[in-house]
Amino acid sequence: MVRLKDRYLLVNIVYSDVPAGQQPKAPASDLLVYNQPTTSELRPQHLLKALRSEVASLFGDCGSGAIDRSLQVKYLSTATSTFILRISRAHYRLVWAALSFLHQVPVKNGRPCIFRVVRVSGTIRKVEEECVRRAKLMILAAKREMSGKSSDALGALLRGKDNSRSLTMLEDPDESEPDYGDAMYDG
Amino acid sequence: MDGAKKSFPGKRKEGPAANQGKDTRSTGRSFKRVKFQDARNIRTQPSDAALDDGKLDLQKFLNTREFEIKALEASMHKCKTANATRVFQQVPRAMRRRTASHNVQRIPKRLRARARQEQIDDNTPTVQARKRRPRTTRARIRAETAKKLGILAARKRKREVRKSAGDGDTETEVGGGAVGRSTIQSRMARPKIRRNALNEPPKVESKFRKRQLNKTWLPTHLWHAKRATMTEPSKPLWRFAIPLTPTEKNYRPTHRASGQNGTLFWDTSYMSTIGLYGLAGCVERVLRDLGLSQEGFWGPRGQKWRTGLRKWTGLLSKQRDDIRRDIGPATIIWNPEIPTEHPEEAESVRPKKSHRQLFIRTHPSCFLELFNELLALAKTQAPQLHVEDLRFEIGSIELIGPGSTETLLGVLKPYYETPKTQEPQARLFRSLGGVTNPSSLPKDALLAFSTRDPRLSYPPKRVEVWNGGLVASLLDILTAWPVEEGLKPFGLFSRDTRYQGSRLPPMKSINRRKGSSAPREPIPAMVTDPPIPIILFTSRSRTDGQAQGTWTLLAPWKCILPIWYSVVHYPLSTGGNPRLGGLDEVRQVAFENGVPWFPGDFPGTDAGAKWELEQRARRKRDWDRRPKGKRVEWKSLDLGAGRKSEIGDGLACDFEQLFGLPKTSLDDQPEVLEEPSNAVPGKATTSAPPLAMVKQMSKASFAAFTTPSNSDNPPAHSIITANLTFVARGIASDCARIYRLPTRAAVVVRPSTQTEVPSTEPPSTGPRRLPSNLREQWLQKDPLGPASSNGRQSKKQPAPPRIPKGADAGTRKKLLTASLVATELPYPRPAANQSDVGGHPLCPNENDLIGFVTTGAFSLSEGKGTAIGSISAEKALEMLRGPGAREGRYCIVRNAGESVGWLARWEAV
Repeated sequence: MVRLKDRYLLVNIVYSDVPAGQQPKAPASDLLVYNQPTTSELRPQHLLKALRSEVASLFGDCGSGAIDRSLQVKYLSTATSTFILRISRAHYRLVWAALSFLHQVPVKNGRPCIFRVVRVSGTIRKVEEECVRRAKLMILAAKREMSGKSSDALGALLRGKDNSRSLTMLEDPDESEPDYGDAMYDG
Repeated sequence: MDGAKKSFPGKRKEGPAANQGKDTRSTGRSFKRVKFQDARNIRTQPSDAALDDGKLDLQKFLNTREFEIKALEASMHKCKTANATRVFQQVPRAMRRRTASHNVQRIPKRLRARARQEQIDDNTPTVQARKRRPRTTRARIRAETAKKLGILAARKRKREVRKSAGDGDTETEVGGGAVGRSTIQSRMARPKIRRNALNEPPKVESKFRKRQLNKTWLPTHLWHAKRATMTEPSKPLWRFAIPLTPTEKNYRPTHRASGQNGTLFWDTSYMSTIGLYGLAGCVERVLRDLGLSQEGFWGPRGQKWRTGLRKWTGLLSKQRDDIRRDIGPATIIWNPEIPTEHPEEAESVRPKKSHRQLFIRTHPSCFLELFNELLALAKTQAPQLHVEDLRFEIGSIELIGPGSTETLLGVLKPYYETPKTQEPQARLFRSLGGVTNPSSLPKDALLAFSTRDPRLSYPPKRVEVWNGGLVASLLDILTAWPVEEGLKPFGLFSRDTRYQGSRLPPMKSINRRKGSSAPREPIPAMVTDPPIPIILFTSRSRTDGQAQGTWTLLAPWKCILPIWYSVVHYPLSTGGNPRLGGLDEVRQVAFENGVPWFPGDFPGTDAGAKWELEQRARRKRDWDRRPKGKRVEWKSLDLGAGRKSEIGDGLACDFEQLFGLPKTSLDDQPEVLEEPSNAVPGKATTSAPPLAMVKQMSKASFAAFTTPSNSDNPPAHSIITANLTFVARGIASDCARIYRLPTRAAVVVRPSTQTEVPSTEPPSTGPRRLPSNLREQWLQKDPLGPASSNGRQSKKQPAPPRIPKGADAGTRKKLLTASLVATELPYPRPAANQSDVGGHPLCPNENDLIGFVTTGAFSLSEGKGTAIGSISAEKALEMLRGPGAREGRYCIVRNAGESVGWLARWEAV
């Protein structure tokens, strides 16, 4: 029997500005600004449609045909701006490239944003574990912020084996490992 | 009502969902799909959850992350639990049954309810063979007949009940008098044992008689047939149906159970016992003629053996025209004499006139040969000796492993338990708790006593064992070994005791007594329970004192089955039960201990030669069945240096080729195989195959030749058994060829021994010269050898200089040309397989062939390939006398059909 070989991509939607209506009374911290919720209008179908059209424009019929059948949204949480994509192992780079070229939420009057691929894995379990790990990091950062200390928002956002590592990464971008955070820089 | 519901879409939410749920219940597959979909679905929140009144908020942000973590973890958990395995897949391997997938009765009780539900969900077609509707005409007729017979039987039963009800009171009296009546009952006829003749197998139930026409079942046959691969019905082994190997996977578990943890046990009732009775002097002469001629046996050293305190195991041999020829291994047990205090015996003159009895227990493959030899020898003695064939009178069970003593202690309960009547050897046996290796007992220790019926204390309970190592008292017992006191003749030697012991009460009465006694308590013994006479002895593996010893339990043939059931179900203190072994496991254990197995590793005996011929026929049959492209073509095997074709027959340990004997054509072999099956004494040696000229030589007599003072040559065609260990790589298989190291002088390949055997091969063309330093090449293959240090450098050329990383094109070119010029290659290049096989030395020539591997595999106990083979004694002596003992211990082993050999070391065993 032939085994279907897939890749799972964990993607974050990152924002850099706050729309006028959502601005809290106190100036919003970086943590909140980067990790804003996405509009509930975004459905998996919109995401797929946008990705397909982007792949078609970048890679033509061949590329769009390659990803056509296997691309699937396994999880889409608008409250946390996180989603998981499934794509065949041979073509996940096409989708990743398309994600890098998307610059706004694919709905009507979508806000400008970045799609950041955080983790690529062969099993959905590892992707889920990574998602949990990142959520825990964010909770820690948020708690520190609540207690009045300034948290390092980018550190929580950017991945890293531990928090201190991500700090150094910020200071010295040359040393950053060639990780999935690449998508961050071309936004 | 339905229509009304449909008109309110908002309120209908529950309706279809419930409906759908019901549907999925009924069809398992769709239910499963819903289950998986549900498990894979990860819950999410709408984006409003992250906003406080449309504004960004830290607390809400926190809550959404927490929700996400919970949702993902729940999803992971659900996915794991909703996997596609079914409950019968969780059962441990030993308990797995093929039928468990569709028959819940085959699953342990605690899992049965779940299995039943799964079967309903999956819509598994469940079938009970018992209730299946007959499909064929024959089956239908059978079923109808069975039904009619059932009706008839029921009618008869009813009639009898009515009749007995009519008689009424008189019958109730009989219930009380039943015990009395059973004591008066006339005894069943004792089975006849003919003297000086072969005996018939026990009379079997008529239901099974037709299946035992040309063979005998072991007492545990029905138990084994369900759990082990047996010999083919039409091809019994040594006229027995013998379990070959258990059906479950067991190669590695066998290795563990035999040496590290647990117990391995066999029903070895197929081993043949011969009784020998007569005056002490005559018995001694007969045994001397059988090869026990050393003075050690008959002097003070053999005193313990002759009084019956120890057993002896070794090879017996016979004299044929000035040549001694081995028969096979045998164990000899003497029956102790009646103590002289006995008033009747006191006046008789003991040393001369004493009658002695002894058992000779041997392998069934050489039984007939030994029995005939014994008969002939017994007739020559002045008062004739009596020989009895006790094959079907005495059965045996063998156990090996650290738990073997514990198992025996749990199963065998001495019959006489009060301190007054207790047998001293039984008391000694009971004090052996804590022994984890039977070889820690004195060598060849032997115990004989009477046990209770093991069914009275079934199921066996775990023996309380002191786990803190050997206790001081136990050590005292093991060193003193007080078996002499109160020594009486063994019960197993007495025909009456054996017969009484095998008249065990029926299972029905045991069950009735069990019902009347307290649960889980052993049933109190009654006078009618007979004592079972047994003999227990230990054997040590011949090579290593540290290796596990073996317990052998001899008991009357009919008592084997009740003992067997208790052994099978004994709960070991290390967990689990004893493991079942078959013939393959006997061979595996022997191989891992480096001990040759009879008859396979003794091709110099008649039984071994027969085994070898059978194996040849089997290999030939398997080879013939393979398609041409997938079997080894012996003629086209390239041995290098222009040598073609396998030496001799690739499917045989070809000793005929080695000694230049006339060939056994494979067409003759079936007749040779057929012949022994008709068990007419004296007919076995009418047409001897050429293989019968090969003689076995023992390690001791070979050692006598190796002493420097002795320069005699061993008798022609004699072989010794050798244990081979590969020095580095290599695994031998059966029939592998063993070579000695080639001599130092330049070797010229000549069709040397082929002059005697006309070869159909055309003389091979091309260069016929082996490299002159072949011996050195082989000696370098030993990583620890003496020659490895000096020879290494000369062989390998220095590697060309590496091109540095940053070099430009010019320098690269320069370096490349330099390296090409510098490399000195022999020009013209030698053809492949001329001087070596890809850097590996070539195999020596046929005149360096010394023997064949009879058993070879990867040994789990050594962690590398080992083998047991037979090598020509003459050539082995040449090796040892020639270049010194150290280099003479090397040999080269090449598997049949392969051109690459591997260096090994040999050791006579």
